[in-house]
Amino acid sequence: MTIESKETPVGPAARPGPSVSRRSFLAGSAGALALALAGCGAGTSGGGGALRFYLQKQEVIAYFGDLLRRFESENRGIRVVHDSTTAIAPQFVRGEPADVGCFNGNLELARYVGRGQFRDLSGLPSAARVRGDISALADQYATYEDRTSLLPYSLAAAGVIYNRRIFADLGLPVPETWTQFVDVCTALRDAGITPVYATDRDTWTLWQGLFDYSVGSLVDTADFFARMKEVGTDVGPDAPVSFERDFAVPMERARTIAGFFNPDHAVRSYADGNLAFGRGEVGMYLQGPWALGQIALVDETLEVGTFALPVSEDPADRQARVNVDLALYIPERTGRVDDAERLVEFLMQPEVLDAYNRDNLAYSTTTDAPPQQDERLAGLQDYVDRAAFYQGAGTFIPTSIPLGNYLQAAIRTGDFDSMLRQLDADWRRLATRDATA
Amino acid sequence: MTVQTPLGAAAPPEGAVPARARHRGRPEAIAYLFLVPALVVFTAIIVIPAVVGIFYSLTSYVGFGDWEFLGLRNYAALVTDPTILESYGFTLLFALVTVVVAQTVALALAVALSRRIRFATGLRTVFVIPMVLSGIVVAYVFSFLFANTLPALATSLGATPLEQSILGNPDLAWLSIVVVSAWQTIPGALLVYTAGLTSIPPDLYEASSLDGAGAWRQFRSITLPLISGFVVINTILGVKGYLGVYDVIVGLTGGGPGTATRSVAMSIFGGFTGGDYAYQMANATVFFVITVVISIAQLVVTRGRSVRL
Repeated sequence: MTIESKETPVGPAARPGPSVSRRSFLAGSAGALALALAGCGAGTSGGGGALRFYLQKQEVIAYFGDLLRRFESENRGIRVVHDSTTAIAPQFVRGEPADVGCFNGNLELARYVGRGQFRDLSGLPSAARVRGDISALADQYATYEDRTSLLPYSLAAAGVIYNRRIFADLGLPVPETWTQFVDVCTALRDAGITPVYATDRDTWTLWQGLFDYSVGSLVDTADFFARMKEVGTDVGPDAPVSFERDFAVPMERARTIAGFFNPDHAVRSYADGNLAFGRGEVGMYLQGPWALGQIALVDETLEVGTFALPVSEDPADRQARVNVDLALYIPERTGRVDDAERLVEFLMQPEVLDAYNRDNLAYSTTTDAPPQQDERLAGLQDYVDRAAFYQGAGTFIPTSIPLGNYLQAAIRTGDFDSMLRQLDADWRRLATRDATA
Repeated sequence: MTVQTPLGAAAPPEGAVPARARHRGRPEAIAYLFLVPALVVFTAIIVIPAVVGIFYSLTSYVGFGDWEFLGLRNYAALVTDPTILESYGFTLLFALVTVVVAQTVALALAVALSRRIRFATGLRTVFVIPMVLSGIVVAYVFSFLFANTLPALATSLGATPLEQSILGNPDLAWLSIVVVSAWQTIPGALLVYTAGLTSIPPDLYEASSLDGAGAWRQFRSITLPLISGFVVINTILGVKGYLGVYDVIVGLTGGGPGTATRSVAMSIFGGFTGGDYAYQMANATVFFVITVVISIAQLVVTRGRSVRL
């Protein structure tokens, strides 16, 4: 993750002298340049007849590798290779995206959706099997005409991870209201156990957990951000919608929760958090299913459960934070539509899709999908079934706004109001240059 | 962020006839054989992309798809963006402080190592080790030291104010970045200074000591003037490197706490993943101009001090 700094050209290094005329010098240079560029072009076109499959999630490349081999053996004559590019942008900048993509359904992918870079998949048989309330999630960030640009493949649900042994030993219930949650935190602290372990060093953990959970069950995030985009440059204290007004109560909750953090939260990282929770030193941890595997590496036998954070006094308000962890797309620019669609259909088969989600602590996105059996996640199954879920507020905020860094400062000073005003100001600035999505 | 060693600068062409004069009217054609490929590559991978980037900074381009021409709107937004302005303030101050710290320490070490002391070669090798380590690795190791080891040490020594890691303190976190950046770049500067010191004829020191000059006087009146060219080179390369600070910050603070240690390079890089490509291209263009201006200013100020880059 380094940027090479550009060398500043110093000194009289390159200056054509008198004997070679300027014209012949320039002609020679141009010729050499043309050759060099031609060489670049030749290497990247074509692709050797293999279908290229791009997978964002590094952890499951081997898993999908096995699936691709199966697909090849079922479809003689089609060879599929992993496109190993680490970022999605260069593929599109070059105009050569992989033929089938599998990416996190987030704001970054939405930029491609919103600009019509993906084919309409609504005609595929598998598209009809995707749950309507889950494909609606993908549409919350961006749509293009009335296309089905993405097929949600895997849904991840997150909540408060808790240590069941500690809760049982202290006789603590799983909290269903905000008051109960605060009581649980107080009881844990009185028992000398860290109520909530936070890892401010990795700023994404702050918005993913504290921010998103505090907001999600109090504010309809999709509706809020749709209105924020409409209001655009007028967002502020006098506008009908603003961070300052709509997020005031949620951030009140966040401030209270932050009071129960481990004292050294400011310098702790995500890895520290997984370690501390895995060692059984922590009551609760605001993390998603991705942390469960890391925690299991520390202690496989740890009894872990998950619940949705209650932030109001009505248990019925509780919702789970979800995200479309993987979604399939076929770019407009593929030259292999038939093969690409065949691969998508292969991956969308119930047995393939359900097995993937079972094995990776996620939820299937299709109707009649079997429930997630893992008991660590059982607490969220009901929310997923009822579609009582939201996509985190932080996921709607472009990365140009350093939300995680702002949260770091707000947690330290306790001044969340300034942060909300800052968010409004940043939003106005982004709206001025149409960069809110 | 490595500081390069300008080897060529170590050998002043004493008494040599300048190449130009010798071949007046008859330049060596073979020179172009060496120059043209470098020029072509430089143009293809630096100049052309930079010009394309500068053009896109005037548009709403995100890297693909349609775009429209915005004129200077991105630049206007840039100068009113407090986050951006803060990053410039931090980066410039950081570069200034770090270059002073690193050059002072490097020069002191070089002078000490040039004396007749035991294990000078071995010590020199030890001091150069940080240079071969990757910045991000160094940063992660130091982040562990700052976050865990130092506070634990402070606790056991009873130094209460130091028990809180400076990484979590918005007023002090930048010091950790200065320390690590300096630690990493001192070896490069040390090598340049060592080369400079060996180029000073020893008889100058003998003569001056006969005249009764002390060590400080010798340093001020002989050493410093004779290695001033090396000081300039180190300072220019150092400032240039520190202005682009990125990996050390990512490993140490991630730009935090809050936005206290967010460098310009971090903002620019964020534009590529954050869909803010054109806006951050404008930022990069401004930053490029500032860097060039600083470099030229340094050259102008130090001109006439036998400096040849």
